[in-house]
Amino acid sequence: MAVRLRNLLLSKEGGIFLVLIMLQILAILFVDNYTNPDNIKLLLKATPSLGILALSATVLMISGEFDLSMGSTFALAPMISALCHGAGLNLWLCIMIALMIGASVGLANGLITVWTGMPSFIVTIATMMFWRGITLFIAGARWVKFKTEGIAQFLFTDTIGWLPLQFIWFAGITLILWFLLNRMRFGNWIFATGGNVKAAKAMGINTDFVKVTCFIIAGILAAVAGFFESLRVASVGPMQGGQILIFTAIAAMVIGGTKIGGGVGTVLGTFIGAIIMFSIQNILMLMRVQAFLFQLLVGVILVSAAAGNLLIRKKANSLE
Amino acid sequence: MAINLRRLLLSKEGSIFLVLISLHVLAALFVDRYTSPSNIKLLLRAIPSLGILSIGVTVLMISGEFDLSIGSTFALAPMVSALCYDVGLNIWLCVIIALIIGAAVGLSNGLITVKTGMPSFIVTIGAMMFWRGIVLVVADGRMVPFELEGFARFVFNDMIGWVSTQFIWFAVFTAILWIFLSKMRFGNWIFATGGNLKAAQAMGINTDLVKVTCFIIAGIMAAYAGIFDSARVDIVNPLQGEGIALTAIAAMVIGGTRLGGGVGTVLGTFFGASIMFTIQDILMLMRVSAYLFQSFVGVVIILAAIGNQIAARGARKIW
Amino acid sequence: MVETNEVPFIELKNVSKNFGRIEAIKNLSLKIYKGESLGLLGDNGAGKSTLIKILSGLHQQDSGQILINGEEVKLNSYADSTRHGIETIYQDSAVVELMNVYRNIFLGREITKRFGFLDVKEMDKLSREVLDSIGIQGITSTRRLVETLSGGQKQSVAIARAVYFQSKVLLLDEPTSALSVKETRFVHDFIIRLKNEGISSVYVSHTIANVHDVVDRFVILRHGENVGEYNRDEISVNELSDIICEH
Repeated sequence: MAVRLRNLLLSKEGGIFLVLIMLQILAILFVDNYTNPDNIKLLLKATPSLGILALSATVLMISGEFDLSMGSTFALAPMISALCHGAGLNLWLCIMIALMIGASVGLANGLITVWTGMPSFIVTIATMMFWRGITLFIAGARWVKFKTEGIAQFLFTDTIGWLPLQFIWFAGITLILWFLLNRMRFGNWIFATGGNVKAAKAMGINTDFVKVTCFIIAGILAAVAGFFESLRVASVGPMQGGQILIFTAIAAMVIGGTKIGGGVGTVLGTFIGAIIMFSIQNILMLMRVQAFLFQLLVGVILVSAAAGNLLIRKKANSLE
Repeated sequence: MAINLRRLLLSKEGSIFLVLISLHVLAALFVDRYTSPSNIKLLLRAIPSLGILSIGVTVLMISGEFDLSIGSTFALAPMVSALCYDVGLNIWLCVIIALIIGAAVGLSNGLITVKTGMPSFIVTIGAMMFWRGIVLVVADGRMVPFELEGFARFVFNDMIGWVSTQFIWFAVFTAILWIFLSKMRFGNWIFATGGNLKAAQAMGINTDLVKVTCFIIAGIMAAYAGIFDSARVDIVNPLQGEGIALTAIAAMVIGGTRLGGGVGTVLGTFFGASIMFTIQDILMLMRVSAYLFQSFVGVVIILAAIGNQIAARGARKIW
Repeated sequence: MVETNEVPFIELKNVSKNFGRIEAIKNLSLKIYKGESLGLLGDNGAGKSTLIKILSGLHQQDSGQILINGEEVKLNSYADSTRHGIETIYQDSAVVELMNVYRNIFLGREITKRFGFLDVKEMDKLSREVLDSIGIQGITSTRRLVETLSGGQKQSVAIARAVYFQSKVLLLDEPTSALSVKETRFVHDFIIRLKNEGISSVYVSHTIANVHDVVDRFVILRHGENVGEYNRDEISVNELSDIICEH
């Protein structure tokens, strides 16, 4: 039993889980109102959109690529969806439209990346600007209402007891992605493509196909994240999914243990990382610390965590 | 003579120059108020801010690295400068402080990148957020006045006849960097580091030193550009420069600098930055939504990069 | 072990391959018999690696035929090649460093249960068995990341693929260039062992001495053409070197 516990703690996700626990304990002890029921509700309700965005980045990152345009998809997909719904279209159709937009943006990103051979972060910076401009142009910089009723309202915005359904979705998506990555053949191919694209190709894996598929998955997840965020506040802001959110998501991914170079990653770690990042943001807010200090902190966390990951791996290998 | 002219025009910089000229001609013909004195003055005074920033980033790009935090430096350096000036410090000292800040940010970006081996764009994304946060804290969220007078004003924000002093600076810096890159040994090392890192190292070039130096150059240029921009509008906005890094990348890429490193031209960027800002100006005059300019920048980057790829593949086929 | 009337396991007939204006392989014909080990020699740029890639299905020839057991086949992918029993071992072992041993052995051909789920237990067990049968020392757990293995151990991972998937022909592209003397001996002993079990190998190297101990027959490539075939007993390392350097 003790050995199993030790192995669990030493596992990839064990370390970050400990950090999460310690953070929560410290917060509960020292931060006023942290355990206030309204605050806990906020934490549980708002983390999923950040978290799903982080998961989107994780799957793609393992294959070795980035999607900096996920913030624009985060706004574009629900925006179009909301406008369609506002015009009278069936809600489920609107949801499908949002997912298809996410998939299409992802497909475009993927195809451009593999066809031109350009680094994906340049491609997606460019597509980010493109889609953001389009979104702002369509919405005219104003917020669009997005309300749901009936089953949809229950499924996407309600709570069961103290647990919001969005959080259940977040956990569910994490689980599905875990199975895909770790228990499915295609998942192995994703790790191989990100880990050593030459070797993967030599073994007959179609790495272009793997990458484009990951882009599509990332795009769909970004759309889902945006969708959840919009439903939570019952409206879509054309500027939503801004820099800070994106890099917070990337930071969550990195502290969770996913490597920037690709080939190594864990959705479970990202799940925990997202909770940690949002908790930190929440704590700073409760302590009335200025918002831009969070921004500063995200920058520090991102770089030190990424550097730290590199060092930890070097050490782990010398111990083997 | 005719052959030389032809070769000049067909060169990378030559074709961009032609594009620039055509753009101006078309704009002068079809866009209202494009040729109005106030608009021309704006172009001459505002292009240099983007331009000086872009040529600094070009040097770094040739060495194979990115710096997405230049937008934050673009705000931080003049901000600190303005605050010092506000409390009475000598203007020239304030300018030097700004440049030192630019150099320091560049130095830290460079050191972190080479020591940890992390991709520079991640490091500089982190730096971007960090320094932007610092700017906001230092400025306490407000805009800080930066009105220059006398000789300082003449140097940084004036007109000599029909040319602005900023533009002269822009041209001078471009010339200096051009000489540095093409006529000096260190410039050759920059191209080598970006072109084939292992080969450069094998030949004994200290690629870490080369990269860090380029980061410092980019930082200093960003600081300088920020000073010009703030002097132009007499104020430092803590949010200034957000997104400018991407416009600079577009300018660089149009101008013929390769995103992979090893290939680049500051002259091309000189023209590229002019083109980018001119288009922004045209869209503004035509009352086209500023949002579409943003989309446009995105398209430019992709198209130019695709163009680079096709050109590279084409060259390989010929060989 | 040489010219017989039996049907060769693999035969290339007038195969050509161009890359743009470069003729990598020109009208090449070659026979590989069951249970023989063939040394493919030639200077850099002679076309050896291209030939290996064509037989691995990673490139397709522009003209000419590939016959396996007398019948023409199309090798359009690595899967096609492995299906015909051709397995390739590269200098760098074609392994993903950050992945563990069993996932590397089964890379691209992972064993799955129902619904496409990986059978992790089975792959772990089978990997262990295969590695033990090869006789490689020091791979304490198949759950270790490959980056922690030595060069020779990494090659064992590649060899394990060949053994497990019961290859009939092993293509080895500079397999020992990155290995120590001891590890090289290990790989060579293995090739000989396979030969005795009826498994052919094609050993590509530009280091003749390496190959001379292990193979029965040499084929020399120059500028993409087959310029000569010699049995091991009829020729020395120096003579081979002379032929390769002629033009």
